[in-house]
Amino acid sequence: MQTVLIANRGEIALRVIRTCRSLGLTSVVVHTDLDADAPHVREADRAVRVPGYLDVEAVVAAAREVGADAVHPGYGFLSERAAFATALEDAGIRLVGPTAAVIDLMGRKDAAREVAEKAGVPVVPAYALDSDPDQMRYPVLVKAAAGGGGKGMRIVRSADELAGAVATAGREAASAFGDDTLLIEKYVERGRHVEVQVLGDDHGSVVHLFERDCSTQRRHQKVLEEAPAPTIDEATRARVTDAAVALAAEVGYSGAGTVEFLLDEDTGEAYFLEMNTRLQVEHPVTELAVAVRGESPDLVALQLQVAGGEPLGFSQDDVTLVGHAIEARVYAEDPWGGFLPQAGRAGFVHWPEGPSVRVDAALETGAVVSTAFDPMLGKVVAAGPDRETARRRLVAALDDTVVLGLTTNTGFLRWLVAGDAFRDATIDTAWLDRATLEAPGDTTARAAAAYAEVLATEEVDHGAFRPDGWRSAAAPAPLWLTDQVGRAERTGPRTLRVHDSTVTEVEATTRGGVRRLVLRVSDAATHVAWVQRRTDRVEVVADGQHTVLLRPDPFTVALADPGAGSITAPMPGTVLELLVEVGQQVAEGERLGAMEAMKMELALTAPYAGTVTTVGAAAGEQVTMGHLLVEVSPTEDAPAEAQED
Amino acid sequence: MSYAPPSSPLWTALLTIVNIEPVRELVEDLRARVAAAQQGGSEAAREKHHARGKLLARERVDRLLDPGSPFLELSPLAATGMYGDPDGPDAVPSAGIVTGIGRISGRTCVVVANDATVKGGTYYPITVKKHLRAQQVAADNRLPCVYLVDSGGAFLPMQDEVFPDREHFGRIFFNQANLSAAGIPQIAAVMGSCTAGGAYVPAMSDETVIVKEQGTIFLGGPPLVKAATGEVVTAEELGGGDVHARTSGVVDHLADDDDHALAMVRSIVATCERGAGGGEPPYEPEEPALDPEGLYDVVPVDGRTPYDVREVIRRIVDASRFHEFKALYGETLVCGFARIWGHPVGIVANNGILFSESALKGAHFIELCNQRGVPIVFLQNITGFMVGKEYENRGIARDGAKLVTAVASSVVPKFTVVIGGSYGAGNYGMCGRAYDPRFLWMWPNARISVMGGEQAASVLATVRRDGIEGRGGEWSDDEEEAFKAPIREQYEEQGSPYYSTARLWDDGVIDPADTRRVLGLGLATAAADPTPTPMPHFGIFRM
Repeated sequence: MQTVLIANRGEIALRVIRTCRSLGLTSVVVHTDLDADAPHVREADRAVRVPGYLDVEAVVAAAREVGADAVHPGYGFLSERAAFATALEDAGIRLVGPTAAVIDLMGRKDAAREVAEKAGVPVVPAYALDSDPDQMRYPVLVKAAAGGGGKGMRIVRSADELAGAVATAGREAASAFGDDTLLIEKYVERGRHVEVQVLGDDHGSVVHLFERDCSTQRRHQKVLEEAPAPTIDEATRARVTDAAVALAAEVGYSGAGTVEFLLDEDTGEAYFLEMNTRLQVEHPVTELAVAVRGESPDLVALQLQVAGGEPLGFSQDDVTLVGHAIEARVYAEDPWGGFLPQAGRAGFVHWPEGPSVRVDAALETGAVVSTAFDPMLGKVVAAGPDRETARRRLVAALDDTVVLGLTTNTGFLRWLVAGDAFRDATIDTAWLDRATLEAPGDTTARAAAAYAEVLATEEVDHGAFRPDGWRSAAAPAPLWLTDQVGRAERTGPRTLRVHDSTVTEVEATTRGGVRRLVLRVSDAATHVAWVQRRTDRVEVVADGQHTVLLRPDPFTVALADPGAGSITAPMPGTVLELLVEVGQQVAEGERLGAMEAMKMELALTAPYAGTVTTVGAAAGEQVTMGHLLVEVSPTEDAPAEAQED
Repeated sequence: MSYAPPSSPLWTALLTIVNIEPVRELVEDLRARVAAAQQGGSEAAREKHHARGKLLARERVDRLLDPGSPFLELSPLAATGMYGDPDGPDAVPSAGIVTGIGRISGRTCVVVANDATVKGGTYYPITVKKHLRAQQVAADNRLPCVYLVDSGGAFLPMQDEVFPDREHFGRIFFNQANLSAAGIPQIAAVMGSCTAGGAYVPAMSDETVIVKEQGTIFLGGPPLVKAATGEVVTAEELGGGDVHARTSGVVDHLADDDDHALAMVRSIVATCERGAGGGEPPYEPEEPALDPEGLYDVVPVDGRTPYDVREVIRRIVDASRFHEFKALYGETLVCGFARIWGHPVGIVANNGILFSESALKGAHFIELCNQRGVPIVFLQNITGFMVGKEYENRGIARDGAKLVTAVASSVVPKFTVVIGGSYGAGNYGMCGRAYDPRFLWMWPNARISVMGGEQAASVLATVRRDGIEGRGGEWSDDEEEAFKAPIREQYEEQGSPYYSTARLWDDGVIDPADTRRVLGLGLATAAADPTPTPMPHFGIFRM
């Protein structure tokens, strides 16, 4: 094998390029026009433009064109498309993954279930679609056979809901997957998501690399993943790993795959869910927690080795658990605002560093985050000899995960990882869907902004005008900061009073023009805050939480005064039309009428939302300059000053 | 630089035994007086002011200035004791106006803020004098002026002392026009009343802000309008912010409240690009090797007790380094070069009575400073020139005149600190107020009068005795004592630095330990003016 085409983008493309480089292989990536300057294009040895990452024909043509020996699909996109695998097989190019037949088999939930049963793998108790609803034990889950990602899924808690749920799920499945085949299974109320990493080669060897726990999910989207699973006992571990290996062996699995199980916390039973026939997003936790002959395994290297037809070269006995690793997925989304996807230009990006911290990310300062692709910006992984060490390291790593310019879920991740529930490993798969999320306050952000303002002020050499608030024969005056931050008083070389908080500096450094502060804010706990000061705003990431404090522009603040509601003739002319009458509600910017003057037609618009109180002219009327045409009285004014997120 | 010998511990110990921290007590008294004056009007007046959503004058200044900017307030104790008891109902704390120098948007500016809690911010005669003094400082140092207007105009009961003369109310607007003409920005924020003549402060300004429903500008207020024409009109209709921002065009910007107005002013000052220099020092400032607080122990409270003025200099200048000039000649006047807060200075300091030699040395040194473009700091502690037949006959007046000529003709910025006595012609030779130092400050132990109270009483008594005895009358010792006592008392009262500062004979009484900082701010203020210092032209030195 000489050349590998990577049919993906973002962090996973970079991840595969890294391994290719270490193995001396030529890496070629594909990219769309939007991604012409993306990091994966820059990092790869060669890049080929394609109309879209899902364009099978174009990607296969690109692989042919560059003479690729193999195609690594990453995850998502074409990674589990049997059609893509078939097309590659036809072109004589090896897909880094199982055969098209295996992909197809495992991609169908009903078929996969049958395979599992054949391999003696426990599956969730299921009911035939035509079973008597009154005979079923509720709750049950109705799901699409071809599905994934929570689409076409319905929880049913009583017999009379079943028919409706089946109808809806069927419709959703048909529209999402073009296949309305449904399954009805026992619904596990409190379950944990445990998945086993398996590896097979073309020579009949199958091993597992232990399990991962991905129970911290939101609507079936994984948020935190760790290896090994924190709550299972040795017997359960043996059961799931054995079952996973048996399943992979049953289908003659080649490459890296993941067998997912649902652990019923009430009964301790483990049920097969599905098998993913690709590299998982969360594979780094396995690489960090597991050793093969004492060394950290490179799953991508092993995939390539197997794709090249070589044997795995080690046995199950060579695989050991050596520690614990936890991964947090950083997304461009607003967790406190309904997880809405966010977009924008990342004005500043800083990823954490450290010996036990791994970051797989493709986001860098200046990058534009669009909603065209998956909103995942990167993965922050921390490892340690035990779970608690790894967890603490992850909290610290998230403190230094900084994206300015757009909102991310980092503050939410940090809150989760630092919280008692995750510490105690009591988060089940439905925990986040049940939890009420409350945005944290901005006390720390404001304190950090104030501290950074004061440091910036003090940094400049002013000679005798040194900014210490000096007053003759009197106490120094407090420092008045931006309108958003207010009053601050230096109470010591490392302390400041900001309103009612005492802020103590533990550490202050600067990176790329952004200040990193470690502060205590009125309590013993330290907070890490990154602060970027700009003319129009102060952007803060404190405890991972992004906050924007706007500095009001004194000359653009809307003056909500009655006079502004008077629309007068800007010059002498003729009223063409007046579209409103007294008492009418109007919206801001709404067209109220028009007049003609100096051969120009001038639109009259409402300065703000309100009620029309006066109409001072009629259509066709000649008016003098300043003639009152319409008067609008504002409904309410509440100018937003701070935008927090 | 010459080696400065260390301060003598024996000397310090001796002074400490004789006077147990007397200067410290004077400083405590100063701080108490300043704190009282800076309260402004009565508590009721301040509460009422706040209740209207308005900030107090000094709160406005604090928020107007750059974060943490020092404010070199000018004469905060103006008017003290001029209108009855300083705590009484007729008192006018700080003359009802806050003036000083601070940084706004990185520019060194003069701020003039009316204090409406003091007699409605009306202009007493001394208020006018203080306003004009601030404009003089702006003119001398080419500093943009920011006026925070909140004033009822002239104090009508004293109109004869406020209105008609050359240096009365009208001079404020004369100055505004001429400062503006000289390229010195005039910026006003109307944050309260701005009545009658006061209306011209914003109107004469280059750019003006008004606070809506709070600031008003009119030549005649509603009562006057009613009296004159019978028209009944509200203040807001007559000259409110909306009227002036939208209709009259008297102001340029309409602000929501005090903070908004101050933000606008800061933004306006930021656009004043001409002469935007901050007066950064040419050299890295260094703290003195000797603690300035040691001045409390070094300076005897009784002006008659001699001490070495170098003890003061070493506690004021950078690294306590003093390049002394002619140390062995005319020893009662210490001259030399040093730096203060990184600014080079020449220092002229009294170390005893002025003789011909010391006057000649001083004149020579002042010429040096002018030739080299070095600002001069005068440390004034002078009872006068030596008197007596021998000295008069040798022409001490001629040599004294040389020193006075040199000081008067000097073109470099001058700064005077009265650290002890300021008597007679010594005041002139050491750059008293009449010699236009950029700033003049006094220590709380300072005294200022044409001569000492005892001397004045003796001189007047001698004249009187000569008159009585010439007419053949008799004048008993008791009668003489009764005659002298009120003269002594008068000199005692009028020689006080608080009597002086109340009348704006100086720019403020300062804590001796603050001398270095105050001088540093003064030097930085002068350095903010980018205009090169011209070469001097001295008057005829009488040889």
